[in-house]
Amino acid sequence: MLATLVTVVLAAQQTLPPEVMKHVSAAADAQKAGRHDEAIREYARVTALMPDLAAGHVGLGGTYMRKGDFAGAIAPLRRALELNAELPGAHQMLGFSLLAAGYAAQAIPHLEKVKAHDALGIALFLAGQPVDSIVHLKTALDQRPNDPELLYYLGRASGMISKQSFDALQGQYPAAARTHQLNGELNATQRKIPEAEAAYREALRIRPDLPGAHLQLGELYAAAGQWVKAEAEYRAESKLRPGDAEALFRLGNAMLEQGKATEALVELKRADELSPNMPETLFALGKAEYLAGNPDAAEKYWTGLLALENQTPLAAQTQFSLSTLYRKRGQTDKAAAALAEYRRLRGGK
Amino acid sequence: MEGMHWALLLAMLEVSRPSGIEFRHVHSPSARKHLPEAMGGGVALLDYNNDGLLDVFLVNSGQLGVPRTEPRFWNRLYQQNRDGSFTDVTRQAGLAGSPAAGYGMGVATADYDGDGFTDLYVTNFGANVLYRNTGKGGFVDATTKAGVAAGGWSVSAGFFDFDNDGRPDLFVTRYMDWTLATSQACGSAPKVYCPPATFPAVANVLYRNLGDGVFQDVSTRSGIAAAKGRALGVAFADADDDGHTDIFVANDGMEQFFFHNRGDGTFTERAIEAGAALSGDGQPVSGMGVDFRDYDNDGRPDVVVTTLSRQRYALFRNEGGGVFGYHSLLSNLGALSSIHSGWGVAFADFDNDGWKDLLAAQGHVMDNVQQLDPSLRSQEPPLLLFNRKGRFEESSLGPVVPGRGLAIGDIDNDGALDAVMSVLGGAPVVYRNRPGPNNWLQLKLKSLGARVTVNGQRQEAGTAGSYLSAHDGRLHFGLGTATAAEIEVRWPSGRTSSMRTDQLNRVLTIEEP
Repeated sequence: MLATLVTVVLAAQQTLPPEVMKHVSAAADAQKAGRHDEAIREYARVTALMPDLAAGHVGLGGTYMRKGDFAGAIAPLRRALELNAELPGAHQMLGFSLLAAGYAAQAIPHLEKVKAHDALGIALFLAGQPVDSIVHLKTALDQRPNDPELLYYLGRASGMISKQSFDALQGQYPAAARTHQLNGELNATQRKIPEAEAAYREALRIRPDLPGAHLQLGELYAAAGQWVKAEAEYRAESKLRPGDAEALFRLGNAMLEQGKATEALVELKRADELSPNMPETLFALGKAEYLAGNPDAAEKYWTGLLALENQTPLAAQTQFSLSTLYRKRGQTDKAAAALAEYRRLRGGK
Repeated sequence: MEGMHWALLLAMLEVSRPSGIEFRHVHSPSARKHLPEAMGGGVALLDYNNDGLLDVFLVNSGQLGVPRTEPRFWNRLYQQNRDGSFTDVTRQAGLAGSPAAGYGMGVATADYDGDGFTDLYVTNFGANVLYRNTGKGGFVDATTKAGVAAGGWSVSAGFFDFDNDGRPDLFVTRYMDWTLATSQACGSAPKVYCPPATFPAVANVLYRNLGDGVFQDVSTRSGIAAAKGRALGVAFADADDDGHTDIFVANDGMEQFFFHNRGDGTFTERAIEAGAALSGDGQPVSGMGVDFRDYDNDGRPDVVVTTLSRQRYALFRNEGGGVFGYHSLLSNLGALSSIHSGWGVAFADFDNDGWKDLLAAQGHVMDNVQQLDPSLRSQEPPLLLFNRKGRFEESSLGPVVPGRGLAIGDIDNDGALDAVMSVLGGAPVVYRNRPGPNNWLQLKLKSLGARVTVNGQRQEAGTAGSYLSAHDGRLHFGLGTATAAEIEVRWPSGRTSSMRTDQLNRVLTIEEP
């Protein structure tokens, strides 16, 4: 495509002498055949014969790019843009080459000019501008949602912003409740449980109404199987933030873990009202109803969940739960069908 | 039935160090992370010389590929003396060394030849060994004649009477198709024991006792061999009250097995259909140890399976009609066990209040698990849960060790159940229990599988269950404040006996009329 572009541009120059045209054609033929070094030599002759021919420098730079020599491409492309600042594609080619050769900051104006959001987002991230980077990466991801390169850099950019914020928090406000909360999170990630617990406790000592800290403590205790303590923390969080569906869901789940199905139902229903039709909540509601001896209500929640999602691991668990319910009711055909669906979703295991 | 909660007043089970038991389990852990090295060894409580005192048999493991001739590798039999101390009688009992190069795993007990003396069956990685009790203070290797060597990697085993002919048959669990040649470690740094699915599943073995000291391998004919698994534990009970003893097998990292006895010499594996194969959410669990007893006094035997951490021990409540319900949550067992890794397990009434409590040996299988997850432990205290009318409450118990096998029995004949826990690479722990104010009754029956109901509590005669271990064969019933016991026995022959006694707090021998 690049060769065609350059050839077309050059061919449009009606005044090219035959000697130059000969090298242009030879370069194009060599490039088509993948003989990059030969194509470079031919384009070099073109630029030597006509140093002010911008398209010749574009052809040379483009051939270096095709060869993978991005550093080599930079000089001819820069020369081309000096001769003709509006040359089609040259800004994009120079921007890519600069980015590929590690000159991210220099690549930015060229990529901005042609609105190359993907490369621009990456260049901005590499140049230490994660906030602007995210804007362009998201635009590019709208067009290519599953591009691994874009997903990778979006994650990196978000992480960089996160780190910058946290560094500022820890550096400037070491005694703040949020700083202790952050320390708790970092310790929890590294599974340093006593340290995480102490940090969350300190955060809550400084600011008893700190949003999220009780929830995080609850998660810590839940992971350690300390369900009584987890329940207390979730309850504290939901008291502070009665509109937080997640806190209520986790409170209900902690109760369920301890077999307190009837009490769990109250909290789970409140979670469902605040954030309706969350599959995890529906599953837990079904479980709580089933354990509380209300199989009809359990069936309703579980079939409702399957109407929302029916191919996920949670759907598999739901099918298994339904098979148990049907079997207990003596509905053997339905039990067998749900079990078969469970097995299918689990990959035949 | 209603009795005092003695445990609320005193810590009941206490670690005791009876003189004479000098055993230390040797498992020779290697850097190559050979799986058997993490799995042993078993313990049995039995009265081998019929002196009325429980003796202790401990299985040693040894070193893979090395004959167990060195005394430190021997299994050991400790005979209880009248003063509660023990004497190592291994050598004089003919149990020194090991005839084959088997790496020791577990033990099962029964009087397989009907001579009135309890025999021993020792499982190994390698050939298993049947020791016939001569009745003269010794044992002889009867494996070849009996034809029960099995081979491969045997783990838990148990005697039961699947065909109701009055002769103890033998079920042997096998873990996986593993050899030293195919062994591998997993992970990079640190190296860890590989998950069970790394190695092919294998079939368990069922031997039918033909009655002349010879067993017949009926694994294929009975349908047992049709289900390949990764079995670690086995327990027996008549789940559906049809008069035929069923089998529950704890499998590691896959569906559990429930072999329903069809009464014609064959079994059908129907754990999925029975609702006892997976957790309540349909997740496979790492089944290790298992017990199969009625924990909620509804007259139906229930199943508890110990698992790895973050899985919750599975409690399958028998709801009748051949169906089980997952009751780990409602019973509170799930919340109390979710962080633990369990092995040997038993429902037993430690406070004699008429409700079977739960005791489990614990410790994660990976000796370096803390490097991977600092919240988990390879050494844990055992889990002691008191049963409060079907809901469990935790009680503390030590020590912190890598527990494995667990056998229950009244070692000092004081009416309070004691326990012995085997420890991987360590000395066993003997737990002595103090009798409280509640009444009790112990029943001695010769018939395996005889179903006994005392004041509404049900148990079945046998020594199997737990992990790698064998319990005291006497059936123990806590009676609370009851002043009399209504006893009903349904014998394997189908005959029934019933009696009433107000002479409690004693051992009663019952024979089939």
